[in-house]
Amino acid sequence: MVEMVTLTVVVLYCVLLIAIGSWASKKIHNSEDYILAGRSLGFWVFTILIVASICSGMTLLGVSGLGYAAGWPTIWEQIFVPLSAAFAIIVFGVKLNHVGTQEGYMTIQDYFAHRFESPRAMRGLSAVAGIIVSLIYLIGQYTAISIILVWLFGIQHWQALLIAGIVITLYTTIGGLYAVSWTTLFQGGILILGVLIMAPLVILQAGGLTSINGALAEINPNFVQPYMPAGAPAFTPEFLVSFGLLLMIGLACAPHVINNVLAAKDEKYFRWSPVIAFAVYAVVMFLVKFTGFAGRSLVESGALVLPEAINAQDFILVYSIQLVSSSVFVWAIFAVIVLAAVMSTTDRLMLTVGTMFGWDVYRNILRPSASDKEVLMVSKVSVVAAAGGTLLLAVNPPPMLAWLIWMGIGVMLATFAVPLLAGLYWRGATRQGAIASMSIGLVSAGIFGYWHQYVAALPVHFSFYALVLSFVAMVAVSLLTAKNDSGILDSTCTGWFIQPK
Amino acid sequence: MFGLPTITTILVGGTVLLAVLVLLIWALTFREAA
Repeated sequence: MVEMVTLTVVVLYCVLLIAIGSWASKKIHNSEDYILAGRSLGFWVFTILIVASICSGMTLLGVSGLGYAAGWPTIWEQIFVPLSAAFAIIVFGVKLNHVGTQEGYMTIQDYFAHRFESPRAMRGLSAVAGIIVSLIYLIGQYTAISIILVWLFGIQHWQALLIAGIVITLYTTIGGLYAVSWTTLFQGGILILGVLIMAPLVILQAGGLTSINGALAEINPNFVQPYMPAGAPAFTPEFLVSFGLLLMIGLACAPHVINNVLAAKDEKYFRWSPVIAFAVYAVVMFLVKFTGFAGRSLVESGALVLPEAINAQDFILVYSIQLVSSSVFVWAIFAVIVLAAVMSTTDRLMLTVGTMFGWDVYRNILRPSASDKEVLMVSKVSVVAAAGGTLLLAVNPPPMLAWLIWMGIGVMLATFAVPLLAGLYWRGATRQGAIASMSIGLVSAGIFGYWHQYVAALPVHFSFYALVLSFVAMVAVSLLTAKNDSGILDSTCTGWFIQPK
Repeated sequence: MFGLPTITTILVGGTVLLAVLVLLIWALTFREAA
């Protein structure tokens, strides 16, 4: 009975997604429609797309799991991650959307190539770095989807992957960003409503916030403090500073997040979109975190028993919801919520990889004479290839996978943050400075990440060291080399201001 | 409040309020490019 109801709801959900994709495919006439939805995204579609691209399924399970494991010191994650949405919109979005519309940018690489007068080196370097990190992320997302489907239906890991992979690839390939953004609006709506309904039930079941905090304080007095004491492995005040930078800026400049700002229809959306994205995301994530706290208190009182597993904490959300409601419908809808969270990130990542290859590598580097139809075709084929390749890796995940996924966002921060910020806000940033900063960030993030994991633990997040090196490289090399043409600096709105005049 | 130490309530609550305030100020002072 439970399986039948859940199966029906999940199948209905997938059919609806494909229907949206098929409707969207009729709107695709050229590569601009495919890559940027014809720059036509309305206020809510745009705002929810930014939020849902950042929010993945592992965010839901991981956020509550971390709350379960370490209490209040982990709450900062719920402030910095929603802030990354606002940061992306304000600090990158306002200028990039303005210049992008005027200059016809299709991807963020178009900006790099134009601003730094480097049509091949900067474009190639940033596209390849973006593709690598997005692919690593993608493997992690597929693994998350299959974990959920395996729980729900007891089917084989590879079957779960195949089903989810086919559904997402289908609507992403045929409908491009139109399909991705409209399915995301639908998925985001389900996610927000679902969490708003279910989290309070779990919190009430555990006796309310005051009682939950009392229970947390009894387990470990540090669980109700704003940070862990010096000497703890994570969440000390200095760790939180590097963690905050990592989440707020690193997620904001991730290719699957930042490219969305080019697709908004109207510049005036950037007025209210930051505060709405922050508020919606923060409410949802605080509730998910509180569910993790509540789960801990329920486990402590013996009302809930977690399975014996290394990552038992990641099961807390699922088990808590199972405890408060025995209704099969609630269970089925919960399944769809987690799927919605994972799928809304996965489809955006696949499209990003496809367009970075089709537009930046193929159209702008390998074959500049390619027709628009050809570019569209190559982009679609790359989406399918990215899905196929990462699915194969997810079926048999390499032993280094967990380390690689965890590396992903740190590499993103170290590679893209400095060239983007310096490019947009410092007229002295030069092509050589950008190339040096990007390559040193990329390489040193790999080295420090490896060092932290396999040699000796670092006191703050590894990406912080790479970010500092990338910054130093940008400043030092830029000061030693000739400035970019001032005409280009003007047309890319470069300077110490956010809003173009 | 909520059974939390005062410092936790102030730091966490204060940061959220500050973030919302900054974003509201942003929205109210936003002007479109000509």
